[in-house]
Amino acid sequence: MANEQHKITVTQLESDYKSGMTRRDSLKLMMALAASAFLPAALTGCDSAPVHSTDAGAGLAKASTEHWPDLKLAPITATGYGKDPNLIQPPKSPWPLTLTQAQLTLVAVLSDILVPREGSVPSASEVHVPAVIDEWVSAPYERQQQDRVVILSALAWIDDEANMRFSKIFVQLTKTQQKAIMDDIAFDTAETPAQFKRIATAFSRFRGLVLAAFFCTPEGIKDIGYVGNVPIGGDYPGPTKEAYAHLDKVLADLGLTEYAYPVQA
Amino acid sequence: MKDFDFEVLVVGSGAGGSMAAYELTKAGHKVLMLEAGRDYDPKTESPMFKRNGEAPLMGAGNKDKDFGFYDATVDGGWSVPNEPYTAADGSEFLWWRARMLGGRTNHWGRYSLRFSEHDFKGKSRDGLGADWPFDYEDLAPWYDKTEALVGVCGTNTGLDDMPPSSDGVLQPPPKPRITELLIAAAAKKLGIPVAPMHRAVLTRPLDNRAACFYATPCGHGCSIGAAFQTTTSLIPMAKATGNLQVITDAMVKSVDTDEHGKVTGVSYVDKKTSTVHQLKAKAVILAASACESARILLNSKSTRFPNGLANSSGQVGKNLMDSTGANIGAMVPALKGRPIYNEDGHTANHLFIPWWGHKAQERKELDFPRGYHFEIGARFNEPGAGLQGDFQGYGVDLKRQVKHNYGAYVGFALRGEMVPNEHCFMDIDPEVKDKWGIPVARFHWKWSEHELKQIAHGLKTAKAILAEMGADVGELPTPEQAILKGGEIIHEVGTTRMGASPKDSVTNQWGQSWDCPNLFVMDGGVFASNPHKNCTLTIMTLAMRNSSWLSAQLKQGAI
Repeated sequence: MANEQHKITVTQLESDYKSGMTRRDSLKLMMALAASAFLPAALTGCDSAPVHSTDAGAGLAKASTEHWPDLKLAPITATGYGKDPNLIQPPKSPWPLTLTQAQLTLVAVLSDILVPREGSVPSASEVHVPAVIDEWVSAPYERQQQDRVVILSALAWIDDEANMRFSKIFVQLTKTQQKAIMDDIAFDTAETPAQFKRIATAFSRFRGLVLAAFFCTPEGIKDIGYVGNVPIGGDYPGPTKEAYAHLDKVLADLGLTEYAYPVQA
Repeated sequence: MKDFDFEVLVVGSGAGGSMAAYELTKAGHKVLMLEAGRDYDPKTESPMFKRNGEAPLMGAGNKDKDFGFYDATVDGGWSVPNEPYTAADGSEFLWWRARMLGGRTNHWGRYSLRFSEHDFKGKSRDGLGADWPFDYEDLAPWYDKTEALVGVCGTNTGLDDMPPSSDGVLQPPPKPRITELLIAAAAKKLGIPVAPMHRAVLTRPLDNRAACFYATPCGHGCSIGAAFQTTTSLIPMAKATGNLQVITDAMVKSVDTDEHGKVTGVSYVDKKTSTVHQLKAKAVILAASACESARILLNSKSTRFPNGLANSSGQVGKNLMDSTGANIGAMVPALKGRPIYNEDGHTANHLFIPWWGHKAQERKELDFPRGYHFEIGARFNEPGAGLQGDFQGYGVDLKRQVKHNYGAYVGFALRGEMVPNEHCFMDIDPEVKDKWGIPVARFHWKWSEHELKQIAHGLKTAKAILAEMGADVGELPTPEQAILKGGEIIHEVGTTRMGASPKDSVTNQWGQSWDCPNLFVMDGGVFASNPHKNCTLTIMTLAMRNSSWLSAQLKQGAI
């Protein structure tokens, strides 16, 4: 059993979160994952391990009750990068990173569910999004410290839920099992069931960070289509013909054509 | 400074101090400038073309770098290490400082709108606040000179809120963006004009400064000198005359006087050695920023001046004003999925909404006395730590949502004029001192109904414009919820106001203190009112005009 779990873990690691890590980090990550299979509650930082649901093995079992991990997080005591950092060569690791290897792997798996590879466009973990999340939740600033509680709680909740439904941590679930949990928590709307309301809100914050981190990379910038931050000789060229044509249509649709601002061709 | 026989001491190297130093050194006066922060060179320190993803936290702001990692501000922001300020009970005020050569000109928004006769004579019109002790016509030629020297792009619009520059002064503005054109049409339908913003960004080369190449946010600093900051323009130009020397890390603690009450010079702390030095000069110009200059004056106590220097009127620290501010915006469905092109431009407003309500106020149709303008935030931004939109789900569909929303958010930032009131002022905290042993500023703040009613009007107007664009803002916040904090717009002025009488003002129209003829103030402290139009252009224009007058006095031997 243990060997089998270990094998699954390593396979997932190799396929899901290898890039951006040193060999030593990868080794640590594998060891942590191996350990995590035995000690999910300890690693996720729960005060009390959730009660495992009785039909854990049954495919797409639902968690029946509301639950929330009560994390006891040690405060971040690192200092920030200060008020006069080098802006030309930004600090590479401005403060100690705090995610455990198990948390980092879960972040990697979730990031790739949120932002999977699309053709030639890489997935989130392929462009080191988990490292950005780790930097973010480890940062000694107020906003990031608030996010740290939210995101670490969400990570713990997701493993608790996976354990309750399937008796395994999330990264060890099949894609179908992972999708079942995602479909319950990835939609934060008026229709979200009460027991998923809190995790859906927390997961929204995580999703926002993953998206931001992905679209900040050179690959993400290309994917979203941002074409600025390049020097232009001469006057600013302004909108393209296609953009003006679209505006004309919008103005017409909104009944604003007669109020159009004069534009020099 | 042993071999440098200077006539004038200038405290501060920002907009006012640098313009004063430029004008005086060009006129042949030797000037010593003191800057409380470190030396700074935008040519080597500006993070040009750097991506948010290369910065810690995707460039997001925090208490170390309030406006984001790449913001040019050094050793400052809402807090300065070891140099606190306090607020009285029930008051909240934010005070932005920079401790660097060039001060806040290294990161400012560069919006450069002229005040008008309407702006200078508010009290004559509605009985509130104070009039300025001159007419627009007195300042107009100096606005021309300042705009030409600084380099301002924009056009003469003929609108009553935008007095014209002389022919050939303004540089051509950049073309409007699609979002701005849509706003312009929606606003026009409601009878609200939209006009090219005036900005201190070169669209044509000037002196040793290159024209804008339409990339890299101006707030990061500008290594090519296109976006105006004193560190790439006035300071090197003044140094080139051979008449300017600068001491950095020099924190002025007091202005010194002799037994006759005449100003003899200043005392400053050399921050590197923590030692106090005295300097003597024929004239002293305070341009340390409105509240820092007032702090220095209030801390310059003597038996002759027990309430601080230049304070026989009791007005030093009083009449503190900021601009009002409020933000409102929405996703515009019609802009979703629109064709992408490079919308960086000069990285700020190409078009904006100037104040259009002069006539309505004349007809008493509005329930607030002073105007505002809207700045516009709506373009294909470089992705950063915050994405606009309410996203759901995961996977390919989630990514599609993000891309579909990209460039579809339209935000309005209101900037309005506040009326000075008795609850808004600064004084010296009786207990707290900074690291250098200098008593710190204490702020008192309360918005009046004039500001709240103005904000309410602005929120309703922005909602109406957005509705014409097909966007739903939803329920509006109350003005109390929406109005930003005092100081947050970083247009704090008025603490050493100029006026026509020594009874109710600190300086005359030349920035010369009524009490000490060889002491001048040339920062935003001298503002008699705070029109909605961003203070820096007028700070520079007044500093140029008043330094020119000071030069004449020095040459005549009057000072």
